[in-house]
Amino acid sequence: MSSEGKAQRAEELATENAVLRGRIAELEVELGEQASRANEAVARLEERVYWLDRWHLDLNSLMKKPGAAQFRALLRAVRAPYRWVVNLSRKRGS
Amino acid sequence: MTRTSVVIPVKDGGQLLSDVLEATARERPDELIVVDSGSSDDSVRMAREADATVIEIPPSEFGHGRTRNLAAAKATGDIICFITQDASPVPGWLAAYVDAFERNERIGAAFGQHLSRDDTSPMIARELEGFFAGFNSDGEVTTQASTDEDGWHPGFLSNANAAYRRKVLLEIGFRDLAYSEDQAFAEDLFAAGWLKAYVPAASVVHAHDFPFTQFMRRYFDEYRGLNEAVGHVEAAAPRAAAQTVRSQLAQDVAWMKANEYSVGEQAMWIPRAAAHHGGRHLAAVAGSRANRLPAIVQRAMSLEGRGEERADPARQSAIKTEPVAPLRRTELFSEVLDLEHNGVAELLAPVPGMSEKERLHVAVVIPPFRKGSGGHDTIFRIFRHIEQMGHTVSIWLSDPLGRMHNEWPAVVRKRIREEFVDLDAPVYKGFDDWFGADVALATSWETVYPMLELPGCRARAYFVQDHEPEFFATSAESVWAQNSYRQGLFAICASPWLAEMMRDEYGAQASVFHLGVDAAMYYPRPVPRRRDTIAYYGRATTPRRAVSLGMLALAELNRRRDARIVIYGDPLPPESTFPFENLGIATQEELALLYSEATVGLCLSVTNYSRAPQEMMACGLPCIDLAGFSAESVFGEDGPVELSEFSPVAIADHIERLIDDQELWERRSVKGLDFAAQHSWDAAALEVEQGLRAALRAREQ
Repeated sequence: MSSEGKAQRAEELATENAVLRGRIAELEVELGEQASRANEAVARLEERVYWLDRWHLDLNSLMKKPGAAQFRALLRAVRAPYRWVVNLSRKRGS
Repeated sequence: MTRTSVVIPVKDGGQLLSDVLEATARERPDELIVVDSGSSDDSVRMAREADATVIEIPPSEFGHGRTRNLAAAKATGDIICFITQDASPVPGWLAAYVDAFERNERIGAAFGQHLSRDDTSPMIARELEGFFAGFNSDGEVTTQASTDEDGWHPGFLSNANAAYRRKVLLEIGFRDLAYSEDQAFAEDLFAAGWLKAYVPAASVVHAHDFPFTQFMRRYFDEYRGLNEAVGHVEAAAPRAAAQTVRSQLAQDVAWMKANEYSVGEQAMWIPRAAAHHGGRHLAAVAGSRANRLPAIVQRAMSLEGRGEERADPARQSAIKTEPVAPLRRTELFSEVLDLEHNGVAELLAPVPGMSEKERLHVAVVIPPFRKGSGGHDTIFRIFRHIEQMGHTVSIWLSDPLGRMHNEWPAVVRKRIREEFVDLDAPVYKGFDDWFGADVALATSWETVYPMLELPGCRARAYFVQDHEPEFFATSAESVWAQNSYRQGLFAICASPWLAEMMRDEYGAQASVFHLGVDAAMYYPRPVPRRRDTIAYYGRATTPRRAVSLGMLALAELNRRRDARIVIYGDPLPPESTFPFENLGIATQEELALLYSEATVGLCLSVTNYSRAPQEMMACGLPCIDLAGFSAESVFGEDGPVELSEFSPVAIADHIERLIDDQELWERRSVKGLDFAAQHSWDAAALEVEQGLRAALRAREQ
């Protein structure tokens, strides 16, 4: 290979190198953001489930117990008339 | 689809085994394993005909825990059930277990009901009925979470009819006990945070109906096992035993009447029942004290024929020893052994420029904590500031001994936020969810060992707040603490003194940060400054604060003059020859007021310095510490702190000088205020951030 060809090849490699380094830097930033988002999500979740953890309650397991679905249906059934009464009393109040 | 395995340990199972195999096959398990320990009858052939995988072991290798662990290791089911060779499952047995495990992921082990056979004697049938009805009489699955909880026999678990979640069984394993390995497992299960369930529908027909002597020998074995497993010793109280026998006899009679036994049948059973209950008490007393009986007597009384001195000469010993059953699930400091087994995880290949990344992910590995822990407070304060700089922080609690096993992650996080600072970071317990980090940071010597096993890190560093080997007398712990500094971790040290030690004695790379002061809490409060008050950090439970020396110095001072001495740091006041006032474990507010009112502060450290002198200085209170340790490296030789020789007389001299020499007092006070103003937690966090980047830079080179 001529010296001119070698120089051109070196330049190509340097350019490729710079592109790859740039890509690594981008991926590093992405990885950092992912770690940050994952940690934030876990922290938010821990904030939400504090009382469940405090009482050692695993709702997924609890809702698989016999009667849990019926209990939930009962609550929903009670909730509807309760809301109706609350809304009615609010309307009267206003 | 949940896979199931059923395991039956067998020895000379006889005709009953054939029934058991048939009943088990009807339940359609995915796998049936029979472990035979030297049957001389047709047991092995019967098992093979029932399509069981047969594992044959010599009788000498049998152990209730050991053999079941062996079978569990071979089993492939998600649920592994154990029954005995005389326990026949009733229809629906296996499906009931599977249903219970599928409904509640926290159940690690379950047991079912034992039903009596037609020919079972009334006292056994009655006891079985009553015992299992105590768990739940309405047929529903119930769970238990601790052996200490209220309720019916919370520690009960019987491998005559039990099922285990495979991963739990393999993780915990049965202890290698001659008997009661199931009850010991229940303890270990709870300690690991799992639930135990009673599944009434998972019933077996199983009753030990033996002739009288065989019954007594069996009870002897059971109580010996119970003693070996959990240390139970049956009280030898004849009067109480007689009352128990009478009461049980009355219950037997009532049960027989309810089950329509004829008068003749009742008359026949009553003497046997009385002998049974009385004999059981005697067998229990003897069995739970078996280790005190000669081997020949033990063998005679045991159904298993087991005596303390084995016939096997290889197991005989010339000296008399007391066998001790395993009581721990995790060996103390097992993380050291784990590291030797698993080795140090490789670090990720360095990436150019990683040390200058704008946002780092720092995974901070902490040991368990208590409210008021100063070391943890420093960690959390600094990493709160690191978060505020834009970095991502995660907290990983390493708790191999389960000191905080009752606190789930969200509770640990809340405690950090309420008892220390408002960290945003999530808290992970253990390393099951580990996902790597730019820098993994150990914060105490015990956390170094598990941290070294964590993969996916660009660098590892060590947040060194003190020279921890000095916390121990010469011991394995002190050597492990020393070795923790020799693991090639980049040390981020809480004083130049520590950093120098890390470099010179341990060959570690090190950077320095200075402890901060909370300026919003510690500042001169508007209270009159007294001229006679010494505030002494006398925390005797922390030997590195040299409280014996401090108390001698105060005794010397008291001999020379009248002074008001206020001691704080421990809930119990130290004993002394001089009068003083005790502030106990003071709040920060109380300390700030004390420092603003006192004349001289005294805080002695024979390892790294405490945060107390800076907090005193921030309130304008001149302070005395010891020369020759770490204080000079932080405060300088003639800086804000009065440095004393290691002598009670010298310390008393310094206290007197600060009380009497107003000009010296003013000079130290002003220098102290200046020093404290320059040492914020912001500044400390910046230094720690530089240390984290230096750890990454060291990898790039």
